[in-house]
Amino acid sequence: MSHLRYTIKRLLQAIPVLIGITSITFLLINAMPGSPVEVMLGPTASEELIAAAEERYGFNQPIHVRYVKYILAALGGDLGRSIHYGVPVTTKILERLPVTLLLLASSFAFALSVAIPLGIVSARRRNQPVDHGSRVVSLIGVSTPNFWIGLLLIIVFGYHLQVLPSNGLVMPLTPISEVEGATSRLDVLVQTVRSLIMPTIALGTLQMAAVSRIERSSMLEVLGRDYINLARAFGVKESVITRKHAFRNAQLPVVTIIGLQLTSALGGAVLTETVFNINGMGRLIIQAVRTQDYALIMGTTLFFGVMFVIGTLLTDLTYAYLDPRVTYEGED
Amino acid sequence: MAAETEETEDQEYESRVGASYMLSRLLQDTTARISLILIAIISGMALFAFIDAEFLDYRLAETYLYHPLRNNAGTRPLLPPVGLSNQFGEGVLAHPLGTDTRGRDLAVRLLYGSRIAIQIALVSTTIGVVVGTTVGAVSGYYGGWIDDVLMRFVEILYSIPFLVLVIAFMAAFGRELIYAMIGVSIISIPIFARLIRSEVLSIREETYVEAAQAAGVKDRNILLRHVIPNSFAPVVVQTTLQMGTNILIVAGLSFLGFGAQPPTPSWGQMLSIARNYMLPAPWFSVWPGLAILITVMAFNILGDGLRDTLDPRLEN
Repeated sequence: MSHLRYTIKRLLQAIPVLIGITSITFLLINAMPGSPVEVMLGPTASEELIAAAEERYGFNQPIHVRYVKYILAALGGDLGRSIHYGVPVTTKILERLPVTLLLLASSFAFALSVAIPLGIVSARRRNQPVDHGSRVVSLIGVSTPNFWIGLLLIIVFGYHLQVLPSNGLVMPLTPISEVEGATSRLDVLVQTVRSLIMPTIALGTLQMAAVSRIERSSMLEVLGRDYINLARAFGVKESVITRKHAFRNAQLPVVTIIGLQLTSALGGAVLTETVFNINGMGRLIIQAVRTQDYALIMGTTLFFGVMFVIGTLLTDLTYAYLDPRVTYEGED
Repeated sequence: MAAETEETEDQEYESRVGASYMLSRLLQDTTARISLILIAIISGMALFAFIDAEFLDYRLAETYLYHPLRNNAGTRPLLPPVGLSNQFGEGVLAHPLGTDTRGRDLAVRLLYGSRIAIQIALVSTTIGVVVGTTVGAVSGYYGGWIDDVLMRFVEILYSIPFLVLVIAFMAAFGRELIYAMIGVSIISIPIFARLIRSEVLSIREETYVEAAQAAGVKDRNILLRHVIPNSFAPVVVQTTLQMGTNILIVAGLSFLGFGAQPPTPSWGQMLSIARNYMLPAPWFSVWPGLAILITVMAFNILGDGLRDTLDPRLEN
């Protein structure tokens, strides 16, 4: 099957998943105490007023009718209006999305750039001090709550040493006048990097640890294969074997783990953004739940779901690229 | 003759896979041994906090510690741990780890927090294992449309970012701990369902299953007596690891305010209070996180140890 056909097939398979995500969220929101209209009008509103508003916004219709209406509107890019912010949900999401994407991208970059070399070195020097050290680091990494790492970093680098900002995230394209003490675009970028360091480490540590564990075991397995021994017998240098023969073949399980880590990273973003007071998607969803902002909860959940589906899709396509043997012929 | 040799081989084989053999091999591993001891200590603390209620309350108030549920008048808030001093004064021996914002002893609150952590690990993981195993086993054993429907559903559960799912779930039903546990168990279901399904798919083809089918054994009995027990090794490993993961997730939820409600202490919730006192009382943020780290790490080490013991393929 060609890559294009496979891509189309995977896209089609994502449809039932998205329907599932939206209907589960829709049902959960409907199970919440109090109707959106009551929240919107406040506790003093009269019953007639509530009834009239429900009529007007269509909340008196049966749930499946509202669901279908919501989906049709969502397909047209309309996710409703946020009661709390008084703006369309899409506007709010688009405003917050780049922040979370930047945070996710930088934490994955951090995780991979540390984890892959660490895993390879660990596998090549198995049971040596380097290996033990890196295994202990990854064990601690997968066992530590990311928000706690955030708190410790703030205590040490934010409060004690006062070298890094512990609040908020400066986006690279923020107008220069809005960034404190910045006189040029370069200053803004420096601020961006400085404000990214701690959240990146807090969010990326778990990913780093998980990936390095898999990288190590996968490399170990590949380095023990016959064709590697054959290359050794031919006198190929160990560094060349690692780079040219073993590395690419060892990356399949790693790609799977990276894909799976995306969900936990999205969850972790909620916590990291809370700890560092970063106004991204994660904090938005918490605020939406706290303020019972129904349209916003629905919209953000849907968006998180879409991000995840895209992530899984990219993982699968990377798989096909990395291993030409993966053909998907027998797949259902 | 032939029967005799087979019997001795059988015995040899038996002695290499039995539960006692597994345990003895597991105990040879120093790290696994340490993790078992740690889990035993934490569980002991949790059990103590669970059964004591009034007894502990009385005894601790009598001696030198303060009960976590009572707001003690005249106590000193934010005392530093022994050996440290801060603007609020010296640490005192009565509160080895210091006190919180209401002057409650942090060591005791940590001890009480262990109860919540162990409770979460046990309850949410058990629900996840039982439901997940059932779904996965049925799905893998019967195949066909049942498999299709169940697996699509599992995939959907798998695709919703878990923290978001649990938060939405708790917003709908309530912020109490029980809903956090149910929510977390729901997200554990797909993990076990997928794991056991793939195991069942290979076991289904084994001759002993065919033999049982030919002998007219009911499907339900084949599943319960032959298929599930034979696919349990990876489930045991995953269960142990999942306990750690679930403790982490619920700690995160409690940190966000979805979980054990004050005054009941949980480690995540303690951190969310400590967060507001990072400057004057940094140790307050250290202890609960350390407790989470140690507990989760103990489960992870045990899981790794079990994997090495239960899966002979990984021996080399």
